[in-house]
Amino acid sequence: MNTQPSRVLSPELWEQFRQGSRIACARLVSLLENRPDLHPEIRHRLFPLQRGAVRIGITGPPGVGKSTVTSALTRQARVAGHTLAVIAVDPTSPFSGGAFLGDRIRMQDHIGDPGVFIRSLASRDGHGGLSPATPYAAEVFDAFGMDWILIETVGVGQAELDVLNCVDIVILVLQPGTGDIIQALKAGIMEAGDIFLINKADQPGVDMVLDSLRFIFQMDAHRPGYVPPPLLTAAAHTGTGMSEVFETVEQVIAKFRREGRLREKRRQRLEQDIREYIQQELWHRYLQLTDAQPEITRVARELTDSGRSPFPYIEQLKSRIRMERNHDQES
Amino acid sequence: MSGKKIKVVLAKPGLDGHDRGVKVIARSLVEHGMEVVYLGLQQTPEAIVNAAIEEDADVIGLSVLSGSHMTQFKRVRELMLEHGIGDRLLTGGGIIPDKDRDRLVELGIGRLFGPGADIDEIANYIKEWAESRSAGTAET
Amino acid sequence: MTKNRDDTDNKALWLKNYWEGRLRDADFTTLSGQEVEPLYTPDHLADFDPDRDLGYPGQYPYTRGVHASMYRGRLWTKRQFAGMGTAEQTNQRFHFLLEKGQTGLSVAFDNPTLYGRDSDHPLSLGEVGKTGVAVDTLADMEIVFDRIPLGDVSTSMTINAPAAWIFAMFLATAEKQGIPFDRIRGTLQNDILKEFIAQKEWIFPPEPHLRLITDLMAFCSEQVPQYNTISISGYHIREAGSTAAQELAFTLADGFTYVEKAVAAGLDVDSFAPRLSFFFNSHLDFFEEIAKLRAARRIWARHLREKYGARNPRSWLCRFHVQTAGCSLTAQQPENNIVRTALEALAAVLGGCQSLHTNSMDEALALPSEKAVEIALRTQQVIAFESGVTNIADPLGGSYFIETLTNRMEEQAEEYFSKLERLGGMVAAIEQGFPQKEITRSAYEYQKAISRGTKYHIGVNHFINEQEKLEIPVLEIDENVEPDQLRRLTEVRRDRDTNAVQLRLEALKKSAAGRDNLIPPLLECVRVYASVGEITDSLIKVFGTYREPPFY
Repeated sequence: MNTQPSRVLSPELWEQFRQGSRIACARLVSLLENRPDLHPEIRHRLFPLQRGAVRIGITGPPGVGKSTVTSALTRQARVAGHTLAVIAVDPTSPFSGGAFLGDRIRMQDHIGDPGVFIRSLASRDGHGGLSPATPYAAEVFDAFGMDWILIETVGVGQAELDVLNCVDIVILVLQPGTGDIIQALKAGIMEAGDIFLINKADQPGVDMVLDSLRFIFQMDAHRPGYVPPPLLTAAAHTGTGMSEVFETVEQVIAKFRREGRLREKRRQRLEQDIREYIQQELWHRYLQLTDAQPEITRVARELTDSGRSPFPYIEQLKSRIRMERNHDQES
Repeated sequence: MSGKKIKVVLAKPGLDGHDRGVKVIARSLVEHGMEVVYLGLQQTPEAIVNAAIEEDADVIGLSVLSGSHMTQFKRVRELMLEHGIGDRLLTGGGIIPDKDRDRLVELGIGRLFGPGADIDEIANYIKEWAESRSAGTAET
Repeated sequence: MTKNRDDTDNKALWLKNYWEGRLRDADFTTLSGQEVEPLYTPDHLADFDPDRDLGYPGQYPYTRGVHASMYRGRLWTKRQFAGMGTAEQTNQRFHFLLEKGQTGLSVAFDNPTLYGRDSDHPLSLGEVGKTGVAVDTLADMEIVFDRIPLGDVSTSMTINAPAAWIFAMFLATAEKQGIPFDRIRGTLQNDILKEFIAQKEWIFPPEPHLRLITDLMAFCSEQVPQYNTISISGYHIREAGSTAAQELAFTLADGFTYVEKAVAAGLDVDSFAPRLSFFFNSHLDFFEEIAKLRAARRIWARHLREKYGARNPRSWLCRFHVQTAGCSLTAQQPENNIVRTALEALAAVLGGCQSLHTNSMDEALALPSEKAVEIALRTQQVIAFESGVTNIADPLGGSYFIETLTNRMEEQAEEYFSKLERLGGMVAAIEQGFPQKEITRSAYEYQKAISRGTKYHIGVNHFINEQEKLEIPVLEIDENVEPDQLRRLTEVRRDRDTNAVQLRLEALKKSAAGRDNLIPPLLECVRVYASVGEITDSLIKVFGTYREPPFY
């Protein structure tokens, strides 16, 4: 770990952050996005400030109105006195590296409310899924004093799965006419939803979606102790049904807390965190020990040309790593 | 890994739906590798500055074609200074008379682009501004 | 058509010479980026059937024009649209125009009114009375039309999102003058779909807006039969950066959507279709524009007759107003705009327009000067009376190139219709941002071509006058308009029966939540001086608001 505190992380910045400066809060999120070298220092200092905000993922196929649901849920949560951060993720263009972040457009009812902080993140190298900085941004907002952190995904593929790893509760948003999508999602994401919400329930076809969801839930009914997740309908653009959604979220949070599931999620995240740092550290050390990256590139090219198996090379590498380790221990 | 990207907040203040220009600029800036937060139509100066703070934007770009540019640019600039983000760039475009343009530049507003401005020139201006800024402050 | 050997040889020889000759290093595509071949020959029209594809002027499918005699019978209407300050000034201007012999009036509203907002709404600050007249309550409308015989003049109103309650105020004004509704004539723009696509002035989500339009169509069919309830507009779509084909396709698709909504609401297609009219743009690519306008007539006629089963030939007619392209004008070397506008106007006339607005040379920078407005009008007169083009209907009909382009326009429009259908229709497509994205992409491609210099905009990216100092004149703003208007609004609110206003706004909300026609309750509201903004807010409580999906 970098023992020398960084210049950009001035004592003033931390002081301002603790006193509730939104500029300082926004700056810390940017540093976590842009400066991986500062992660350990920033996250270490955020740790004692965190109070255990609940992280809620809002996910689902494109076009179902996730932003509108997020906005409507924010309104309900504000009425109940919660403070919130909203993290909205949009994809980075693989060609230019730029990104178009447009989700604030639908969050405009909360402008000027000090109890709401909205931040857009580009997915960067999160491969079209969640921005790698998303869980860290959540830590910043937790330490900033927000009660709830809503994380809204771009709604395509990888993001849904990524979001599972960094939130406590998942609201899966669907709409009438998404029957086919349910079939497609059944395999992965369906198990992930803690709350199922059919948005745009003022449009025809709601019953069909409800029926197919109930059918899917029924397939699990034989499992001992299985309780199907709450299944709700709403029209987020007018607010219809959203107070029920809010109440259900509160109930699920209370239930998860009672059952120790929030704790368990946090433990899982910490474990994964530690694992990732170790993997990263080992890889960095390995790169330092040998001139590994160019060598791997060269060998891969040779193997491609020759059509030979890579496993002899991998075995050879393993023994080299063992030798290095012995060498380390000796010195 | 990631590295710093230029973040730009783009908005159309006031009652004016002509968003052809701002959309073209948004697309052009994304193609130049920037992260563009588009706020859309009918934005108040307060909402624009609030977004720039929360997004930690480097640049605010306004498109004003309704003739209310003096009110809008001035108010956004005032709010930027008031909230402590006067170090960010405020730029934009529209049909802005020379006299008004001079007065706005005096208030610390950056270049303002008129009808027929080249889209690459706008992106390059922002990039140059960002480079000179990071050269000045190092390590951001 | 059989081809003789000589001709084939000649064509081969021409192609050989063409390729061996020297070609300029230039972009040989249309303004919309369509490939254009160096020559068009009978080969391009192998499937062409003049009876099926052209017909005669005034006959199905109307490719050659909507009237048998075209401009020999009647020239197009020279209609110049203009906006001005207060209700009193507007009224004075109308009296002046009527005294000069004008028989039609055209009302331009200010931005707050166009968004259904009162003059004292926070977003209205600095915008009151700027681009047109501010209308907050019936009191303003009474002043605008004071001593104007509404039964004798035709009155057009360029308004969309709050069109139903602005029109209700207009009807209430006529009522006060003792003019029966069935004597009122004019045109309401009232085209909300192009607002969602291009001009972005809406209040509610698309569906409630469409209901208001259908309600108005139903109400007017019975009670205001001489009023054109909608002018389906491609102009703004083009100004937002679309190609010619996109303008054509999205405008006609909007038209089809209105037809479908009205039919679904129980109206007979022939009861309203004859009063639908269109509003197109005329841009700089001469032949492309002519082809677009010819294709519009043919497509509309075919769909109305074949798909929607209209039996009245007047339902098949695509009658249109054209305005030259504001976005083609440059702030640099503004005199060049006279030439641009003349070319665009000529294309509109060769395309068979029913009325035409020519832009003034200084419009890229400011409200037009009197001199500039006069030149713009004279441009139309030179075309009408000096050029000789009005002697003949559809003079370019039968040209290999024009017919090929017209066919291609129709094909491209049909492709878009299929795409829109796959997306679930125009409203669903708008909610998914489809037409908006298509237009933004076209606008961006064009801007990139300008930036690269492959497309020309004289004085902007080529043939720049380095000595020219671009001087943008300061807008003359009457500082009194806004405070005067605010004072009147306060007075009206003070003097009216507040209780009655509340009761009628509540009744309006109730009707909105149900299925009743909303025009009668809107009339009830405006009669007791409920304001534009109060009606907007009441309806928002039922219909909600709308933000377009984020895209670029």
